[in-house]
Amino acid sequence: MASLTIDNVKKRYGQTEILKGIDISIEAGEFLILVGPSGCGKSTLMNSIAGLEDVSEGRILIGDNDVTYASPKDRDIAMVFQSYALYPNMTVAENISFGLEMRKVPKAEREAEVQRVADMLQIGHLLKRKPGQLSGGQRQRVAMGRALARRPKMYLFDEPLSNLDAKLRVEMRTEIKKLHQKLGTTIVYVTHDQIEAMTLADRIAVMKDGEVQQLGTPQEIYDNPTNLFVAGFMGSPAMNFIPAKVVEQNGSYALELQASKPTVVPFPKPESLKAYAGKEILLGLRPEMITEPQPHKEGKEFVVTADIDVEVTEPMGADTMVLTRISEAEVNCRCNPAYPAKADETIAMMFDTSKAVAFDKDSGKRIDN
Amino acid sequence: MNNNAAKAGSGATQAGRPARLSLADWMPKIVMAPTAVAAIVCIYGYMIWTAVLSFTNSRMLPTYNFVGLDQYERLFMNDRWLVALSNLGVFGGLFILTCLFLGVMLAIFLDQKIRAEGAIRTIYLYPMAISFIVTGTAWKWLLNPTNGIEKMMIELGFEDFRFNWLSDPDMVVYCLVIAAVWQASGFVMALFLAGLRGVDSEMIKAAQLDGASIFTTYRRIILPSLKPVFFSALVILSHIAIKSFDLVAALTNGGPGYSSDLPANFMYAHAFTRSQIGLGAASAMVMLGCVLAILIPYLYSELRGERHE
Ligand SMILES: Nc1ncnc2c1ncn2[C@@H]1O[C@H](COP(=O)(O)OP(=O)(O)OP(=O)(O)O)[C@@H](O)[C@H]1O
Ligand SMILES: [Mg+2]
Repeated sequence: MASLTIDNVKKRYGQTEILKGIDISIEAGEFLILVGPSGCGKSTLMNSIAGLEDVSEGRILIGDNDVTYASPKDRDIAMVFQSYALYPNMTVAENISFGLEMRKVPKAEREAEVQRVADMLQIGHLLKRKPGQLSGGQRQRVAMGRALARRPKMYLFDEPLSNLDAKLRVEMRTEIKKLHQKLGTTIVYVTHDQIEAMTLADRIAVMKDGEVQQLGTPQEIYDNPTNLFVAGFMGSPAMNFIPAKVVEQNGSYALELQASKPTVVPFPKPESLKAYAGKEILLGLRPEMITEPQPHKEGKEFVVTADIDVEVTEPMGADTMVLTRISEAEVNCRCNPAYPAKADETIAMMFDTSKAVAFDKDSGKRIDN
Repeated sequence: MNNNAAKAGSGATQAGRPARLSLADWMPKIVMAPTAVAAIVCIYGYMIWTAVLSFTNSRMLPTYNFVGLDQYERLFMNDRWLVALSNLGVFGGLFILTCLFLGVMLAIFLDQKIRAEGAIRTIYLYPMAISFIVTGTAWKWLLNPTNGIEKMMIELGFEDFRFNWLSDPDMVVYCLVIAAVWQASGFVMALFLAGLRGVDSEMIKAAQLDGASIFTTYRRIILPSLKPVFFSALVILSHIAIKSFDLVAALTNGGPGYSSDLPANFMYAHAFTRSQIGLGAASAMVMLGCVLAILIPYLYSELRGERHE
């Protein structure tokens, strides 16, 4: 177990800068998740942490040791790759014990370790097989087993579940979470999956174009995104961005939307809108904050009921997504399936703006914090 | 290969539309027919004819006077044949091993992301593009004691330098090895380079994290995963070795004496210049046996492998 500090790390390939000064630091035992669009440099950052790529500038510290120039094998890190990267000519047991063998661990100890790992991951019956004879899920377990065997200071997972089918992915996600709780080892984990990010992480770093946009707990990222990109990236379906005009009302500021009819909604931090009075901003409102009218919320602060024109409904089982258009923007609302919303009809919806956020239309920056 | 594809294609259409056979269905067969006929007659037909002749006492012209296994008995009593066989053993063994070793080494070096890789690859691969006759002739000059490497070294001041394998009956077979290795190792390199390029780069990263040195990574992980490439290279090289005829013809012409004969040269000499068609045919059949002994296990494992996938 060790903390990880990434201090202003830059990585250039020739002229192009892939990582543009990454600053991340996490405590020992924390589960850090890196998310971001494809090509934003997540794998490059992982490889830099592992020492598989040299960084062009900056420092990487594991615990108190500066490992910026240490070779991969001296960093005491294990990594699980997206392709699993098992050694095809070795059996499962040999795959797991190879790292120990390279570190000159005696044979008896190695065998005991393989057994321990196999028991933990329930792959004992596979030990004599070659990777080619395993299913995707089994290979994934073996790849984890190989990482677990050395008991390193830190684990790196680069999209470890992306090749699994949906059901297996959920199972493995739970197992990884359990494993982390049991071992308490620091983990850095890359994923494209929103749910994986939200459920597993202690901290999420949202990256874009080689920069960290925001580093925070999943709830912070979800509730308090620092800019339009983070807000739109986390959450599925994504946050709604509704163009809204800042209007003065009773000496305070509120937002005017074009739903079925013009509607004015309150905003939690009206004073932050002062500079934008009379101008348009983007109101960020999560789909679950626009629902069918709920009696227990009636009359509360920041709750407004207004009519919307339904465009499409998408039943999802537990909820029904209702698509509408507000101020020319497409908006998702999350309703109870029993609520009779039908396409091309007008129906009342309850807007709860207590967790709404506001963004500058041009720069995409948060206005209200 | 085309043949198979055509067969598979027409099979599928037949299954789909049983009754009507249009021109489109016949077209592949019509197009393939001349090739198929030529292949059956020229390859398998003559193979069978040779097999038949090997049981006759044909001399200058084919006759059908069957004498059982007499020709084979004569063959294995023939000193020149035994020399050719043992030459094949030495030549084949050394040629294959050296080519594999050099090819693998060159491929590994070229795989280290070096500059001008394309040019270097072409240089090494180039010998494969020229015929064994040219290789043989070029090396005949190089290895010739009176005007080749030996002369050059002596002119450079190494007065005692001797390199006269070409005229030494005990060493001449190694001259064949040198020339053949020069020609074929670039090809083996290309095979392995393609294999190395196909290796998952994450696997190499995993090995690095596991603490394996570059040498260990190649020895324990990368090369073992190239087993199919080894196998293919082995088969290709061994049939080159068994078939080698032109190299000997150009480089040594079997000499001194018949000390550098290979089976193919023996066969040619007896069937076409010494009026011993029966004996030549018998030696051809022995060579065919050698090739089959290598090819059949290979094809078997290849086809089985396909079915597994
Ligand atoms: N060896 C290299 N030379 C030049 N550019 C590279 C090299 N490796 C990666 N890149 C570039 O660096 C950028 C980041 O790549 P990286 O693999 O880190 O993306 P990623 O965030 O992991 O994407 P994904 O989610 O698709 O895995 C990409 O634009 C890629 O083209
Ligand atoms: Mg990646």
